[in-house]
Amino acid sequence: MLDAFASAAGYMLGNPMCFVLIVFSVAWGIMFGSIPGLTGIVGVALLIPFTFAFDPIEGMLLLGGVYVGSTFGGSISAILFNTPGSPEAACTSLDGYPMAKRGEAGKALGIALAASAVGGIFGTLVLMFAAPPLARLALEFGPAEYFALAVLGITAIASIGGGSLVKGLIAGLLGLAVATVGLDPLTGIARFNFGNPMLLTGVSFIGAIIGIFALAEVIQRFADGPTEANAMTEVSTKLPSLAEFLATKATLLRSSVIGTIIGALPGVGATTAAFISYSEAFRWSKHPELFGKGSPEGIAAPESGNNSAVGGSMIPLLALGIPGSATTAVMIGGLTIHGIVPGPMLMQNNSDLVYSVFIGMMLANILMLVFGLRAARVFALVLRAPYPLVGPAIVVLCMTGVFALNNNVFDVVIMLTFGAVGFFLKSFGLPVASFIIGLVLGPIAEVSLRQGLILADYDLMTLVSRPIAGTLLALSALSLAYGLWGQFRARNATPKPVTETDAKAQTDPA
Amino acid sequence: MTIMNFKALGGATMALALSITTAIAGDYPDRTVEIIHQYGPGGGTDRFIRAIGEPMQEATGQSVVPISIKGGGGVPAYVSFLQRPANGYTLVSLSPDDVINHALGRIDLSSVYPLVRIQYDQGMLLTSKDSPLKSLDDILAAAKENPGGLKVGVTGSAGFDDALVGQFNAEAGIELETVPFGAAEMVSNTLGGHIDLMYEEYGPTRGLIESGDLVPLVLFSDERLPELPEVPTAKENGYDVTLGRWRGFGIRPDTDPEIIAKLIELFQAAYEDPGYKEVETQSALQYRSEFLGPDEFKAFMDSETEAFSKIMKDLGY
Repeated sequence: MLDAFASAAGYMLGNPMCFVLIVFSVAWGIMFGSIPGLTGIVGVALLIPFTFAFDPIEGMLLLGGVYVGSTFGGSISAILFNTPGSPEAACTSLDGYPMAKRGEAGKALGIALAASAVGGIFGTLVLMFAAPPLARLALEFGPAEYFALAVLGITAIASIGGGSLVKGLIAGLLGLAVATVGLDPLTGIARFNFGNPMLLTGVSFIGAIIGIFALAEVIQRFADGPTEANAMTEVSTKLPSLAEFLATKATLLRSSVIGTIIGALPGVGATTAAFISYSEAFRWSKHPELFGKGSPEGIAAPESGNNSAVGGSMIPLLALGIPGSATTAVMIGGLTIHGIVPGPMLMQNNSDLVYSVFIGMMLANILMLVFGLRAARVFALVLRAPYPLVGPAIVVLCMTGVFALNNNVFDVVIMLTFGAVGFFLKSFGLPVASFIIGLVLGPIAEVSLRQGLILADYDLMTLVSRPIAGTLLALSALSLAYGLWGQFRARNATPKPVTETDAKAQTDPA
Repeated sequence: MTIMNFKALGGATMALALSITTAIAGDYPDRTVEIIHQYGPGGGTDRFIRAIGEPMQEATGQSVVPISIKGGGGVPAYVSFLQRPANGYTLVSLSPDDVINHALGRIDLSSVYPLVRIQYDQGMLLTSKDSPLKSLDDILAAAKENPGGLKVGVTGSAGFDDALVGQFNAEAGIELETVPFGAAEMVSNTLGGHIDLMYEEYGPTRGLIESGDLVPLVLFSDERLPELPEVPTAKENGYDVTLGRWRGFGIRPDTDPEIIAKLIELFQAAYEDPGYKEVETQSALQYRSEFLGPDEFKAFMDSETEAFSKIMKDLGY
C-alpha cells in the first residue's frame, strides 16, 4: 500500500499539471456549488470533455476536485441568502441562514467550511484505508435496510421544528405527500400529476428547495417591509474561534461516520447524508431547542455529513465499479471513455490512478479550507448590501438557475409554487425542516419498502427481523417514544419560549 | 463611448443580425447540437451520445452534447423534445423504452422522424458468485420448484427489461418476478445476495464479470458472445428470446430536409470512425449493431412496435 502511495505521489510530482488541475477544480467546484441551478453533477459533466485532453489520472483529479469543492460551495449561498446552491446544501440553510441573519455570517461560513473540511478529510481517510471492507458492508444493505435508514430520519419530523408535535407532523406528512407525485417507481403508473406529463418525474427537488428557502424568504422580507430586522447594519465577518468550533466535535464525528456510510450506499448520496446527520445531531444535542434558530451544531452536522459522503460515494466506485451517487455515476462514464474498465480490479490494475485520486482528494479538502477561510470574510460582506437590492437579484438568479438546470420552464413554475408553499408554511408556523425531510426521505422509504416487500413475498416479519434493519427500526421506535415523552413532560412544565437572542446568548461561550 | 465605437457596435450588430438570418442549412451545424435522452448522466445512452458525438465534433467544430431529462418513464424527456423548435439543433434518443411508451399510449411516436439507428446491444441474466444458481438449468429448476420465488432486478418500471423477462417467462413457462431498481442499486443488491438475478448488458457489468463477482448465466441474442464463450444463449436452449436494447436518434419531422441529410451523413461517418469503433468494442456492441438510415429504421421501429405491443398486452399492461 505504501509503495502504491509512493508511486502515485511520484507520478503527481513528475506531472506538476496535476496540482494546477486540483487548484482549478476546487475553485470551479466551489463556484458551481454556490450558484443555484449549477450543481456538482453539472460541474463534473461539463468537464468530462476536457479530460480527453489529459491522461486518465489528471482527468480523475479534475473531476474529484470539482466534486469536493461543489459539495462545500452550496453552503455559501445557503448561509448568506437562504438559497441552497445545490441540493446537498439545503439542510445547511436551516441553521446557517438564521445565524447569518443575526449578524454572524462570518461565524456561520467558518463553521460550515471547517466542518466540510473535517468531514471531507474523514471520508477520504476511510476511502484510503478501508474502502474494500466498507464496500462489502454497503452490500449488506438491501431494500429493508434502506427503508429502516429512511424511517430513522423520518421519525425526526415530529420534533425537529422545535414547535408543537402536531405542526411538525403536519409539515412532515405534507412533505411525504408531495414526494408521492410522479410516476409510481415500481409499477410505472402516473400518480397525482393531473395530466401534466412534466410532473411524471415528480416534483423537481431543486426547484422545490429553492422555492421554499430562497423565494419564500424574499417574499417574507418584502412582506415584513423595512423593519429593523431588515436593516442589517452590523455584519460581523469574524470567523469562529477554535474553541467555538471544537464545541461541535461530537456532532462532527457522528455526522462524518453517518455521511461516509450513507455515501457508500449506492443510490443515496450527500443530500440524504446531510439530512440524516442533521436529524441525528438534533436528537443527541444538549440544546435541541436551538435548532432552526442558528445552532452551530445545525451547521456542522449537514456540512460534515455531506462532505464525508463524497469520500464515501467514491468507495463503491473504486472498490467495485458501482457509483455511490449521481456525481460518481458521471465519473464512471468519464473513466470508461478513457478506456478504463471500472470494477473490483481497478485498484490492482490502475493503482496509480486510484492512489492519485486519494492524494488529490485530500489536497482538495485542504485547499478548500485554505481558500475558504480567506474568502469567507469577503463573502460575508455581501450582507451589508441593502436588502431591497439583494432580494430581487436573488429572485432573478434563482429563476435563471432553475431554468438552466433542464432548460425547462416547468421547473420555474415548481419553484414559484414552492415559494408560496414555503411562505405559507412559515405563516402557519409549520417547520420547514420537517417538510423537507419528508420530501427527501419519503421516496427512499417508499421504494425500498415496496422492493423489500416483493423480495420477502409480502411478509413484513422477514423484513423487520433482518439484523441491521431491525436494529435501525428499533432505534427509530425508541427515539420516537423518547421524543413524545419529552413533549409530554414539556407540556406539564412551565413553557419558556426560546427567542433568537436566547439562542445567541447560549451559543456564545461566556 | 465615442462615435467610432458606436459605429463599430452598430456594424457588429448588423453583422450578427445578418448571420442569424442567413444561417441556413448550408452552414449547419453552426452551434451546439443537443440530444435529449431519458436516462441518467453517465449511463449507457449518455456515454453513447458522447462517444458518437466526438468524431462529429472533429468534423464540424461544433459539439454534440447529451441532455439528460430522467425519470417519469421517459415521458418528460420526449415532451421536452417536442417543445423545442424543429431547427435541427435538438434531437431525441430513441430506444425500446420509447417504443413501449408508444405501445402503452404514453407518447406518440408519429411526431418524431426516426433518423438513424446505431447500436444494438444484447443483455443477459447475471447472478452473484455466491449464488446457488450456477447455470440456466438451475434457474429453470428453481423457478419451477417455487414459481415467483426467484426475483430478478431490472432497471425502469414497465419498460424494456420487464418486457424481456416477461417474454422469457412465457417462452420457458416459468415465473421470474421483476423488481425495479436504479442501475447501481441493482448491482449492489445482486452482489449482496438480496436479489437472485439481474438483467443487464455486457458493457456496464464487464469489470465485475472479469473479476468473477458477477456470473452471467444466460444471454439473450442470436449467437454466443466471443467475450463470453461459456455463456449459453436462451435461443440455443429453445427459448426464442433475442430482444436487445438498441439506440438511435430521432428528429422533428418538419426539419429542413437538407439538415436531415447532413445529419445522416455526419452520423454515418461517426459510426465508421475508428475511435468510436473502439468504444463499441469495449462493450461488445459490434456484433449486432449496424447503421440504419431513416427508411430502414422506420421499418424496424414499426416491427418493434408490433412486437412490444403484443408482449406488453400479454403481460397485462
